Amino acid sequence: MNSTVNELSAANEALHARWWLSSAGREAHFRAISDGIPESLYLATPSGAVEIVNRAFLDYFGVAIDTFKTRQLIDTVHPDDAARFLAAWKESNETGQPYNVEVRRRRADGQYRWFDLRGSPLRDHNERIVYWFVLERDFEDRKRTEALSAGEKRVLERVAQGEPLTVVLDALCRLVEGIADPCWCSILLIDPSGTAFLHGAAPTLPRDYNEVEPQVGKLTDFKSGPCGLAASTKQPVIVPDLVEETRWDENGWRSLALKHGLRSVWTSPILSRSEKVIGTFAIYHRASGSPSQFQRDLIGRLTHIASIAIERTKAEEALGKVRADLMHMTRVMSLSALTASIAHEVNQPLSGIVTNASTCLRMLSAEPPNVEGASETARRMIRDGHRAADVIQRLRDLFSKKGPVSQPLDLNDATHEVLRLLTPDLQGNRVSLRLDLSSSLPLVFGDRVQLQQVILNLVRNASDAMNGIEGRVRTLTVTTKRIDDHVLLEVKDVGSGFETQNADQLFDSFFTTKSDGMGIGLSVSRSIIESHEGQIWATQNEGPGATFSFSIPLTPKSNGATT
Amino acid sequence: MTSRALISVVDDDESVRESLPDMLKEFGFAVQVFASAEAFLAGASFDTTQCLILDINLPGMNGFELKRELSRRDCSIPVIFISAKTDAVIHARALAEGAVNCLSKPFSEAALLDAVQSALRIKKRI
Repeated sequence: MNSTVNELSAANEALHARWWLSSAGREAHFRAISDGIPESLYLATPSGAVEIVNRAFLDYFGVAIDTFKTRQLIDTVHPDDAARFLAAWKESNETGQPYNVEVRRRRADGQYRWFDLRGSPLRDHNERIVYWFVLERDFEDRKRTEALSAGEKRVLERVAQGEPLTVVLDALCRLVEGIADPCWCSILLIDPSGTAFLHGAAPTLPRDYNEVEPQVGKLTDFKSGPCGLAASTKQPVIVPDLVEETRWDENGWRSLALKHGLRSVWTSPILSRSEKVIGTFAIYHRASGSPSQFQRDLIGRLTHIASIAIERTKAEEALGKVRADLMHMTRVMSLSALTASIAHEVNQPLSGIVTNASTCLRMLSAEPPNVEGASETARRMIRDGHRAADVIQRLRDLFSKKGPVSQPLDLNDATHEVLRLLTPDLQGNRVSLRLDLSSSLPLVFGDRVQLQQVILNLVRNASDAMNGIEGRVRTLTVTTKRIDDHVLLEVKDVGSGFETQNADQLFDSFFTTKSDGMGIGLSVSRSIIESHEGQIWATQNEGPGATFSFSIPLTPKSNGATT
Repeated sequence: MTSRALISVVDDDESVRESLPDMLKEFGFAVQVFASAEAFLAGASFDTTQCLILDINLPGMNGFELKRELSRRDCSIPVIFISAKTDAVIHARALAEGAVNCLSKPFSEAALLDAVQSALRIKKRI
């Protein structure tokens, strides 16, 4: 029953189409029903000539219907898409099957946009194809939105990977320039005082213009230029045509922009999460004009990403400073804890110097003077003087507030230096030091002072952990060895150990099991080791005590310490 | 001043072991040096030693422990502690351990000589 109805309906439609094809008023009829449709709709002959089109079609190509009729459809297809278009067209003409192909078409202003083309045949009473009924849908905006989303993802990944702000902002500008119509993008930042502009990124702006960008260094007020206006009002500023503009003549910005071929500018403030202006995002064009809805959306999304990138970088910088301060603080705290050791280290050679000097004077004033003995005591004075100076130099290196320096270093040497400083302390605590340092330890690449601070922390902790241990020798073992492409350093004690449920927390800030500890030594140690791309961990010994270990790679990926 | 009195010096620091005997010899004393408490116990002549200049911070048995060990052995050599640590607590403890004096390194020739002479006077009384 149903199939009979369908057959009748199809036959009816076919009759109708044939009547329509031969009707004198068919073009007026076609226009009347299709001009309201936003997609391009037209009838083309099998030879590719266009006969009847709707309003959207004419608007897109910006031509009168009469002029269009002299053209072939292929004329406005992008050269790269032409072969594909012709193949689909030819195949459908041969088989009589509908076709569907995606191509770029050139618009009246010369710009190509992506179209989805769908054609269906209209046949006469002999079943011959008379026309192709074609619907062309512009999906350029969807295509751009997809490209934008993919681009946004890439930029956000760079933000997450901690790439420098200039690199991220540069990528952001290039992303917009790749998606929007031909344009130049520029991002200005605002200095920490919040009053003046700084360069952010402008990878393609004419260099002559960019180098003298008069808005940079200027106050972020409306007088400096459109970006200043956007920053001071926290509102987007659209300047559709600089030729007709009268603002910003005073400081010469308008004439400079015009001189470099900038005709229109759209700029938006970049706001932080707390609604503070932290920069501006501007798009410049050679042509006059205002942004479309798509472009407004684009600017909105990109300023949001710029805001994330800028805020993230500022947070990183603040964190880096806190970390550096913290490291310095722990060093100073270690210094105060080490005062007794330092006094010992310096007083020993001083004692030698004073005693030798007295003896020397006495030998020289004897009758006859004991020149040989005096020379010997003088030689010892010089030696002890150097020894005291060495101690001071080691301390200065260890406690100076300077940035990390990456260099090849021998972890055994670094360990020996630290242990020399700590020996009086260890002796005072009756610690028996045992060294098991690999004689074939390869050099590692890193910051000597930072790594020594870690060793110092671990050895002091191990010594402290054995405070009050009686009935067994307070053995502290330092081991170095190579394991595959890493160098390992272990500090083992026979002290009180730690609760195994605390193992994960040991390296957290402000976690401590000592009554007088601040709990930042191990946390700082971890951040130092991590900046060397290494690992630090603690294990409970089979017997009494614990072992703290770190390993760092022989060849770090990023070539050294970063904090 | 008693001539040729024997003084022992125990210190793990080589520059002290070199410089102190030279100074003491300049004042006419005979000197024996040892790098550790254990070496002193093994090699010193307890009967003839008039004074012991003893470093507190030593590897192994420390200065205080050596002083106590000597007391345990009824050995009454007067002891002058020396220390590179400038710590009032250590000084007080050194005197409480029965030392003649406790000198902080670096010390002057006069301070050392004073301490040595006090020690020798005590030794005489014993």
